[in-house]
Amino acid sequence: MAASPFIQEEEYAGGRFDWGLWRRILGHARPHRTWFWTMVGSGVALAGTETLMPLCIAWITDEAVAGRADAAFVMYAVLYGVLVTVFSAIVWLFIRAAGRLSTGVAFDLREQGFARLQELPFSYYDTRPTGWLVSRLTSDCTKISSLLPWFLLDLAWGSCFLSGIVIAMLILDWRLALWVLVIVPPLVIISWYFQRKLLQSSRLVRRSNSITTGVYNEGLMGVRTTRALAREGESLREFQQQSDDLKRYTVRNSLQSAVYLPCIISLGAVGVGMAIWKGGIEIQLGSDLSLGGLIAFMQYAVLFSMPIQEIASRITDMQAAQAAAERIQTLIETVPDIRDAPEVVEAMGRATAGGPEDGGRPDISSIEFKHVDFWYKPEEPVLLDFNLRIREGQSVALVGATGGGKTTIASLAARFYEPQRGEILLDGVEYRRRSLHWYQSQLGVVLQTPHLFAGTIRENIRYGNLDASDAEIVAAAKLVNAHAFIEAHDGGYEAEVGEGGTRLSVGQRQLIALARAVLADPQVFIMDEATSSVDTETEQLIQSAIDTVLKGRIAFVIAHRLSTIRSADVILVIDHGRIVEQGSHRDLLDAKGRYWRLYTRQEAEEEGARHRPGT
Amino acid sequence: MLRDTSTAHPMFDRIHTIWSLLEGQRIRYGAALGSLIVASVLLYGVPIVPQVVFDAVLTDEVREGSWPERMGLWALGGREFLSENLWMAAVAVIGLTVLAAVATYFRGRWVAIAAESVVCRLRDRLHDHLNHLPCTWYDEAETGDVLQRCTSDVDTLRNFLAMQAIEIGRAIAMIIIPLPIMFMMDVPMTVASIVLLPLIICSAVFFFGRVKSIFREKDEAEGRLTACVNENLHGIRVVRAFARQEFEREKFHERNDEHRRLDYKLYAVLAWFWAASDELCFAQKALVVILGGYWVAVGSLEIGTYYFFIAAVSMYVWPVRMMGRLLAELGKAVVAVDRIHEILESPVEVVTGNGTPESSDRSGCLVFDRVDFAHGETPVVRGVSFAVEAGKTLAVVGPSGSGKSTLINLLLRFYNPDAGDILVDGLDIKTLNRQQHRRRMAVVMQDPFLYSRSIHDNIALSRRGASDEEVHLATRIACIHDSILEFDEGYETVVGERGVTLSGGQRQRVAIARALLQQPDILVLDDALSAVDTRTERMILEAMRDRHGRQTTIVIAHRISTLIAADDIIVLDAGRIIQQGNHEQLSSQEGLYRRLWEIQTTIESTEERTS
Repeated sequence: MAASPFIQEEEYAGGRFDWGLWRRILGHARPHRTWFWTMVGSGVALAGTETLMPLCIAWITDEAVAGRADAAFVMYAVLYGVLVTVFSAIVWLFIRAAGRLSTGVAFDLREQGFARLQELPFSYYDTRPTGWLVSRLTSDCTKISSLLPWFLLDLAWGSCFLSGIVIAMLILDWRLALWVLVIVPPLVIISWYFQRKLLQSSRLVRRSNSITTGVYNEGLMGVRTTRALAREGESLREFQQQSDDLKRYTVRNSLQSAVYLPCIISLGAVGVGMAIWKGGIEIQLGSDLSLGGLIAFMQYAVLFSMPIQEIASRITDMQAAQAAAERIQTLIETVPDIRDAPEVVEAMGRATAGGPEDGGRPDISSIEFKHVDFWYKPEEPVLLDFNLRIREGQSVALVGATGGGKTTIASLAARFYEPQRGEILLDGVEYRRRSLHWYQSQLGVVLQTPHLFAGTIRENIRYGNLDASDAEIVAAAKLVNAHAFIEAHDGGYEAEVGEGGTRLSVGQRQLIALARAVLADPQVFIMDEATSSVDTETEQLIQSAIDTVLKGRIAFVIAHRLSTIRSADVILVIDHGRIVEQGSHRDLLDAKGRYWRLYTRQEAEEEGARHRPGT
Repeated sequence: MLRDTSTAHPMFDRIHTIWSLLEGQRIRYGAALGSLIVASVLLYGVPIVPQVVFDAVLTDEVREGSWPERMGLWALGGREFLSENLWMAAVAVIGLTVLAAVATYFRGRWVAIAAESVVCRLRDRLHDHLNHLPCTWYDEAETGDVLQRCTSDVDTLRNFLAMQAIEIGRAIAMIIIPLPIMFMMDVPMTVASIVLLPLIICSAVFFFGRVKSIFREKDEAEGRLTACVNENLHGIRVVRAFARQEFEREKFHERNDEHRRLDYKLYAVLAWFWAASDELCFAQKALVVILGGYWVAVGSLEIGTYYFFIAAVSMYVWPVRMMGRLLAELGKAVVAVDRIHEILESPVEVVTGNGTPESSDRSGCLVFDRVDFAHGETPVVRGVSFAVEAGKTLAVVGPSGSGKSTLINLLLRFYNPDAGDILVDGLDIKTLNRQQHRRRMAVVMQDPFLYSRSIHDNIALSRRGASDEEVHLATRIACIHDSILEFDEGYETVVGERGVTLSGGQRQRVAIARALLQQPDILVLDDALSAVDTRTERMILEAMRDRHGRQTTIVIAHRISTLIAADDIIVLDAGRIIQQGNHEQLSSQEGLYRRLWEIQTTIESTEERTS
């Protein structure tokens, strides 16, 4: 269970019913309009049969009271049987239609949401936890799509059934009908009032529930820390508070339902009472109302509350789901800032097979940053008028303090972000005029914390080049010194790495990530050198693997190890978004500037510890 | 440790388990059951009123009614009175229903309070129990699984106690209570009114028993879908880096499609069930309507009685169908109880000893004497002996998996050694009170855990009543004070799962501050500076050295530069001490230490991060 199960529910602030939003959500039903109208039609047909059933019983009763077990009686009996069967058939139909509509809408929402997530820039991911995004595609989609068909059905059924009952009663005896309909206003008001109450209290329950889950989770994750600090007692007290809150909210919610339903039943009884009192008097006086008609009235009085309850609860369901609807709709409608420009898309339409998809130059022999400005927040510029040019076969080491802009330069080079001002040129062509997909296919990116996908080692390396043969995979592994440990590993190349690669050590994951990048055979290599502690011997393997990988490519390396730095063609010392020094290792040492101070300080540190003369 | 399925307990044990959970709330449940019965009786009283009106007032025939009908007529004031005052009937209908509604309210109220109290107590018990389970238990348990048992299984049980149990009870009451009344009124009609019920119940039980596998398949598909999204999003940077969006979309499409198919399959079979069972329920009602109508027509049934049967069958037939479904799902609650109980029945850490060292002895000297420990069959620590004088620093070095962290776990009594003794201030730690023993020590791990609360509270929780000055002193030594002040909310910034994510180095330093504030007798740094850059590391170590002599310190590290100043260094390999001495001695003799030292100085692994 890697997804954080207790992402806090973001409650919809206003709580007002947002028609515009729901219209857009209903728009997702458009490809399934057959099923959409089947639901609406079923609702109407269902209401029709249900209105007829009490009438049919009334006719049978009247025949029976008159002592006639004749053809008319049989006809009514058959009619009743037909109504029952039609009713069941409609039930069958609408559940299947609901299934089509609900699964279809969920499928579409997920496809669109997922596709959108593949395009959104990293700035989108920077502010949202993964677990949060996962629940958008899982629980939010389920919530919306499973609500939609029942909303349609109940709205159509409820309004038709209400009208049907009213019409039937008016036809049977309009005066009596008015007496029975006395219960309608209080029924509507009470349903509305309690549904709102229930909506509010169930939100509290849900929130409290997710916090409780969070506390459990924290308890499990931090169990050793809690023990080591010997604070089991405090931990229990804190939990009990939370647990008591949850209990209080749940009981409150249940009590509200416990009042609501009896109120509805009692109001129904008022309708029945009215019918039997006033209707009874009419029959005593010998009016047109038959005994069967009176029985129908009494049944209608009881049935009346059903559609009102259902409609009220569907509307509150929609309100409860509004936050989810808004989140998923916003996700789908977000336009990624980094995408192919219209002229690139057009060029891709014209491109001939074989070459790059946008019809441009197939290889990259230089990358140039020209007067580049970049910021995440306008008041804090990260890069200002940044210039740099790298040619084929050159590697650039980016050195400097954290926050100085090293990672930003690498991200801009990878087009994970785009500069706000200035341009980045591939052989003189602004990279925004090339296809994003083509350019990123030319990159090999290795991140500080390498991520592997669940699957085998082989599958993970193959991710670099989906068409690679097994021999090529082994060759790549050999090139980065990973082959030996993979062979020694239980299961070899077929060993499962676990979710996120957790069954391998950090060092092993780094080697596999390198092999994956090598297999892609990228023209441009972008690497954030890892700093996490791996054991000394693995570190040596990684170091020599990096040297092999960088050879002969355009390479950007955010360097931490002195040996990587030293072997780079160009070293950029970055500080506050500017290159403060630039040159080869020798040049920079001779300049005795910031690089020299940085370097000698590290040297001295190690020297002091080393008890031997300087290098 | 935790089983997957629960078939081990016989049914009786399970019922007994549920019964024992109800302790303290049984009277409430009893009262709720009582009001449920009262409400059902009253509700069946309601259709007797129209029945009396029809037979006694609105039709001409004068006949002796059945016993319930005569009672009803008497209660309504007799034939003469009622026909003059028909409003009495309305009052009776409304009165009976309102009384039933009040009883229903109390049923709901008592059940809610009882069920939530039971569940709340169970949650507290679970949480407390989890805090006292031994670490060996956690080694084998999966967090996700345990979490699920504590949340969704508890929720399943809650649903059972608060709703399903009472729904089943209601369905039984609704069918049992009218039976005698119906038999008194008319035997053939009664038979006609219940003849299809067994079929309705059995088909529901049978159906939901059969479709369980479809539900499970769908849940599994949903799990795969979630896993797929989760994987993709966690690795989104890799996806982009290799421009594999298309590949990922196809992979997702496959899972999404599979999920859609299975989800629809469920709808399709449920459509059959609900349609068929509706047909059955209506058939039961139609039987009453048509057969009864015929008997009325031929004069063997009174119209009022006919009405009563129609009303009654409408009241019980749908609850009975629901009961069939609930019975089929009863298994879920039983499985949930089993899964919860597996946690509660796991034995807690054994309470041994209650010894407390005299305060004058609390200097923090530490001895490991021929300690052995194995994880299952694999020996992890073998014959380890060493001694650290009070206030001195011991460094431990060795390759991954050599048993370094296990030494710490043994010292903290997360595990007990298989052989050998660990002595603190001359006392065997087995004889000490576990919590007091742990309070004397502070441990900082490589990947320290921070609670989801403010930074200040995270640090201050190691010592109750610590002043802000003391907290700030600790954060200054740990070189994190300034970084904390840079956050928008400073010390009040919430961190952890529901707050700001700190970097590894920041977490390590907050944890060091927490440990320092505790003023422990023994401080353990288990690779606790690995994510801190070398310069900051040196500053922290120097600041701590200024406090030297105040506590015994154990340092585990990969970086030799961290270990150099230690009074004594032990080198572990495969659970044994292979070398011991200070840096001077070890670096001048052949062995693992010198080899590591040489590799590190040639790689010159270093960094210049100042985060």
